[in-house]
Amino acid sequence: MSAIIVKNLTKNYGEKVAVDNLSFEVKKSTVFGLLGANGAGKSTTIECILGTKKADSGEARILEMNPTKERTRLFERVGVQFQEANYQEQIKVEELCEMTAAVYKKPRNYAELLEEFGISDKKKTLVKSLSGGERQRLFIVLSLIPNPEVVFLDELTTGLDARARRDVWNILSKLKKQGLSILLTSHFMDEVEALCDEILILKKGKTVFRGTVEQAKNESKKENFEDAYLWFTDEEENYESI
Amino acid sequence: MRAFRVLLKNELKMSLRGMDMLIFAVIMPIVVLIILGIVFGQKPAFEGADYSFLDQSFGALCSISICAGGVMGLPLVISDYRSKQILKRYKVTPIKPSLVLLAEVAMYVVYAVVSLITLFLVATCFFGFRMRGNFGLFLLGFLLVMVSIFSIGMMVGGIAKNSKIAGIIASALYFPMLVFSGATLPYEVMPDVMQKVVDVLPLTQGIKILKNTALGLPIGDVTVSVIIMLAIAAICGFISVKFFKWE
Repeated sequence: MSAIIVKNLTKNYGEKVAVDNLSFEVKKSTVFGLLGANGAGKSTTIECILGTKKADSGEARILEMNPTKERTRLFERVGVQFQEANYQEQIKVEELCEMTAAVYKKPRNYAELLEEFGISDKKKTLVKSLSGGERQRLFIVLSLIPNPEVVFLDELTTGLDARARRDVWNILSKLKKQGLSILLTSHFMDEVEALCDEILILKKGKTVFRGTVEQAKNESKKENFEDAYLWFTDEEENYESI
Repeated sequence: MRAFRVLLKNELKMSLRGMDMLIFAVIMPIVVLIILGIVFGQKPAFEGADYSFLDQSFGALCSISICAGGVMGLPLVISDYRSKQILKRYKVTPIKPSLVLLAEVAMYVVYAVVSLITLFLVATCFFGFRMRGNFGLFLLGFLLVMVSIFSIGMMVGGIAKNSKIAGIIASALYFPMLVFSGATLPYEVMPDVMQKVVDVLPLTQGIKILKNTALGLPIGDVTVSVIIMLAIAAICGFISVKFFKWE
């Protein structure tokens, strides 16, 4: 059973091919990592799957639904954290949570989530006054408010310190055991290794690897996953010379 | 419905925290009312008129908050929400992003109504104001002017390329209308030539309707203004629905 199915997805921006004939599946109750350098097409892929950008060809289904045609039903069950956190200038943490919860039929209690992510003392703080790490945690909280079956996390732990990253990993692992399917992008290979059941490495919109972290290491003949990742993305030479 | 209520409540909270609308849509009309009340007192609107200058100005004062919310508030908030991709965030939720816009519009309606009530109370209690026309008809006029002016703001916010351009257009609409449409500076004290020029401003026509209904003058006097307001609402409404940019 797959939570997300992507078939032959292609997206062009004018002459530039942003996503080139991409296909993959995210099985239920697993974590799927979409990797690649900045500009490799990760965010575009996520937006095409969600339907906020229109793919030029190919299709994507989430929970066996068409994200554009069945969006009202689908997005009751899907959480999204976009790469750039967007919020109103004058909004406080609690207000943003309340406004997010209000659009779902059966939202989770956001006070509990804030507690779990260690920012419950910031309820009355303006979102713009939070530190980068606190804000990042808040946006993960927002994506979990719908009590989703599938969650999209674009740049999961950017801006978090080591402790907070571990905490986030633990929470996500626990949610995964409870049945949550996760599609994430990340630039931290230790995180990918710790969390992802399967990965896909993108290079200029093309798939250069798909499989498990172990397979990536075997195929590239590298012991370290970060080396394997760099080998696939052809940044290896620069890396070796440093 | 619950989503709408929560959105509106929090939008209002944020707006009050920002203060701008409270100042421009609620406090400023009262200040202008007090100034006009002190300067012109209970003087008749013109020699032989059976209503006072202030009775005549009431309709104009009610339009200040409509103008502030419609051509300043709406374009700025819509373009801001688009550039911050807040509208996009709602695209991946079960509600339509248009519900957020509706909450914004509702918020400015609240401001306009609050301003109307406070103006009515202050004018009645302190400056002997009396609504001479039919109150229902006045409210109908108020609604028409609101729909018309808000549709201008919707159009500007909906199609302006970015927040900066929306801000420039909003200022270019707001300040001339605030000063020259008769909302603050009374139309009646303007020289004839100036009156002819400012007649092109949409709000000038709106104010004619509000004054007419507040004073209970024959409604036929403002048929042209009503047609103009309806036309603006239809055209700008159509353009904003048709060409609205969500991203």
